[in-house]
Amino acid sequence: MNFDVVLVAMLPEHILLAGIVLLVALDIAGASTRETVTVTTLILIAAAAAATCLATVAYTATPFAGHYSVDAGASSAKAILLALTVPVVLISRDDFAERTFHILLLSSLYGACLLVASDSFLMLFLGLEIMSLPVYVLVLLAFQRTASAEAALKYLVLGGTATATLLMGASLLYGATGSLALSAFTSSLASPSAMETIGVVLVLLAFFLKAAVVPFHAWAPDAYEGAAMPVTAYMAAVIKGAVLFVVVRLAGNAMLGPPVVGLVVAMPLLSIVWGNLTAMRQQSFRRMIAYSSIAHAGYLFYALLGEPASRFQAVAFYVLAYGAMNILAFAALPRAADDATRDRLVHLKGLFGRDPAAAILPLPGFVAKFMIFKNVIAAGYTAYAVAGLIGSYIGIYFYLRVVQYMFMSADESFARGTPSKGLALGASVLCLIAAFVLGVFPGWVIDVL
Amino acid sequence: MAEPLVLNVVLFMPLVGVALLFALKPRAESQVRGWTLAIMLAQFVLTLWLYLRFDATVAGLQFETRLPWIAAWGVYYLIGLDGYNLLLVLLTAFLGPLVVAGAFTAIRKDVKLFYAMVLLLQFAMVGTFVAQDLFLFYLFWETMLIPLFFIIGIWGGERRIYATFKFVLYTAFGSIVMLAAVIYLVISLDATTGITSFAFADLYRAQLPLPVQTILLCAFALSFAIKVPMVPLHTWLPDAHVEAPTAGSVILAGVLLKMGTYGFMKLGFPLFPDATRLLAPVFSTLAVISIIYGACLALVQTDIKKVIAYSSISHLGYVMLGLISLDLLGIQGAIVQMVSHGLVAGGLFLMVGMIYERCHSREIKDYGGLAKLLPIYSVFFAILTLAAIGLPTTSGFTGEFLVLLGAFSAAWPLHLEGFSYPLVVSVTAVAGVVLGALYMLGLAQRVLFGPARAPHQPLVDLNLREKSILVALMAAVFVFGLFPAEPMRKTELAAQEYRQLVAAERTGSRMTLNTAGSRVVAPVPMGNVTSTAAARTTP
Repeated sequence: MNFDVVLVAMLPEHILLAGIVLLVALDIAGASTRETVTVTTLILIAAAAAATCLATVAYTATPFAGHYSVDAGASSAKAILLALTVPVVLISRDDFAERTFHILLLSSLYGACLLVASDSFLMLFLGLEIMSLPVYVLVLLAFQRTASAEAALKYLVLGGTATATLLMGASLLYGATGSLALSAFTSSLASPSAMETIGVVLVLLAFFLKAAVVPFHAWAPDAYEGAAMPVTAYMAAVIKGAVLFVVVRLAGNAMLGPPVVGLVVAMPLLSIVWGNLTAMRQQSFRRMIAYSSIAHAGYLFYALLGEPASRFQAVAFYVLAYGAMNILAFAALPRAADDATRDRLVHLKGLFGRDPAAAILPLPGFVAKFMIFKNVIAAGYTAYAVAGLIGSYIGIYFYLRVVQYMFMSADESFARGTPSKGLALGASVLCLIAAFVLGVFPGWVIDVL
Repeated sequence: MAEPLVLNVVLFMPLVGVALLFALKPRAESQVRGWTLAIMLAQFVLTLWLYLRFDATVAGLQFETRLPWIAAWGVYYLIGLDGYNLLLVLLTAFLGPLVVAGAFTAIRKDVKLFYAMVLLLQFAMVGTFVAQDLFLFYLFWETMLIPLFFIIGIWGGERRIYATFKFVLYTAFGSIVMLAAVIYLVISLDATTGITSFAFADLYRAQLPLPVQTILLCAFALSFAIKVPMVPLHTWLPDAHVEAPTAGSVILAGVLLKMGTYGFMKLGFPLFPDATRLLAPVFSTLAVISIIYGACLALVQTDIKKVIAYSSISHLGYVMLGLISLDLLGIQGAIVQMVSHGLVAGGLFLMVGMIYERCHSREIKDYGGLAKLLPIYSVFFAILTLAAIGLPTTSGFTGEFLVLLGAFSAAWPLHLEGFSYPLVVSVTAVAGVVLGALYMLGLAQRVLFGPARAPHQPLVDLNLREKSILVALMAAVFVFGLFPAEPMRKTELAAQEYRQLVAAERTGSRMTLNTAGSRVVAPVPMGNVTSTAAARTTP
């Protein structure tokens, strides 16, 4: 183990760790919590910048051989996850004054960073748990509401189930191949052995559960609804992104074989259709986001059908575009007297009476979906791509319903909420800039990824 | 060479206008109107200048701008004018100021948002016409739906939500299917020729087996035929037209429907020539059914707007007939008919809007003898009616006559060879002209003549603003009817190119998709930028 390599390759993690220690120290010292948002934001920006640098120079190293390695892809993934958390922190001030939130958030990110660079099931498991455990607590942190306790418990139990399924799959694969390396999983994808196939399927199902793909989605609306707004945004954008990044890493450079392809087509397709259909029937903003994120998980898993070389780029672009849009939705949510009112969609009626910005918002999503379906067709799965596209047609309907809700009921007498101010406005602007770049100059982003 | 720059200015002007509107004070409604009109007028003037600068003796793209956009996929920001889109861009720019001026008094709710949406729509429409890259085209094509969704949904009539959802979901379904075909086409071009490009000129070289061509053509045709609309995909049109505010109707009839026929002419037919020739009987039959069925439906309507809406279906049927005839005269006639219908139907919708503002009714039975009540209005209405019928000296005549001539001269040789079906189709199309006279004259007779009757009296005749709008329209209708030679000279080379493209054999060997390894972006063959490396360095 070379310490120089460990120092450089894991720089984003080190910065996060230092940040966590700093925040804990400040807490023990009893310092005022006024600057917490600033400190956390700076830590995140520093970590994201470090990851971006590593990605730009395509730094490749193996600090812990067989368990953890860094390449351009892993660093880009870290950079995306860290950058997406910045606006999440910015919108959190109204909900969380305590440092607990920030410490837990950074801890969860630490896990996500380990996760997306893991090389063995041991490290993957470690990363996944470090990422998930703080989130169970984060969901619970909105303790003013009874719903959050229920949500946290549900999330914990279902998260535990996912972990158990993952472990079962990994054990079967270990039994069959004698290796815990992710490359063993990759080669098992095409293996005819029943044991390996079952192992692969179990591991995939665990990630379906983590990413809330139909029919393993039922926990998501409850957990999202129970959590506080910033936590929901974090779960929808960052956790989901990290899960998808590690799935792409798992699939490696293998094309999917027959039984797995069926799984990766059918369930995501169901997710796209069901997620979009149910999303437009919701009365609660967070449940709507939950269902739409179920649909997005479907698109993301579709990317696995593409050629191995193209998968990461498609997933990275999608995670970035979808994450930015999602957090934007949270940031643009008007302030209200209490959380429950804020969550009700009725509250949004006529909100954007004079703001046509919503018209450009589908653009990044279009490019992201185009990229995924282009890869799927290029890999020869034209029929599956057509099915997915027709499923996404329902997504258009959903988008129109949201637009109708916000623009076309302005004459009904609903008290308009106060538009967001201060930090939340900053978060909106940040996400809007990201959306603009992703939508209008996707070429830049694609070249960088 | 200032022309390419001017073309970009023409394209982005409305978008800058949107930003400008939001910089104005919230309550400055007359300023909003004034600025929007100024932007639209300036856009028209610049477009007219481009039209005059357009060289009729040069085939292919003029005033071209080519910038790498998504270099890794071979997507370019590629715009330019050619004989295909020249007149349509001019038409769009011409109708823009008229639409804006026509809505001055009709729109009183959320004025700023309304004009922002009209400008956004103008941007998307001009973009759709000038785009020469399929990805760019598709983006503009889809972007058009959003402002129109707002325009119908916010400022429409009673059933506006239903109508706007029906319109957008109908058209979006066609677009989704087309998207799959677009991706498949581009990937097969890459796989068979090694060219990674979305440029129309490159896609024209794709070699595809006939079954694939047929499927792809059907996918493209679904999207375009919904937009035209061709029977049986027309059912969104009456709802959208009736519920839309006047400005929405004018843009729908004037420009949007031409997107469908332009799509067929620029993409659908030339991209898949062998499938087009195979399916030509189907398309010509559907075109004639549209002509006759649309006219029959127009005959029995009780709502003035619906008469004109259904007459659009009939008139666009001629365009399709001309395009599929593959006869030079027929193609030229189709282009003229597109512009003519844009002027005439746009004008008629504007006039319906004017009377609706006064009386709040569009029922034919509520009106009578308007010639006595509103003499100036009636003169304009009568002239537009005659132009819609296709009276010689108006633009309607040139288009329909050339289309029918083209259809005949294409069908006659086939008839001599013993295949008389096309001739039957052409003869049936003539009946549409008679039906057209029947419903339009019937409408004029019931509304303009007979005992004086109107739901809201006394009526004030047209004011200066309305007169100016209509005078401009009349002038265009007559210029186009009396001197069609000049614009047709500019479109002639494009018509020839279109005919050659569709006549060409292009069934290639069976496509094998390259599924392994990464794709290399081949040098773009036609133009200024030669490699991805160069493309990457330029922003």
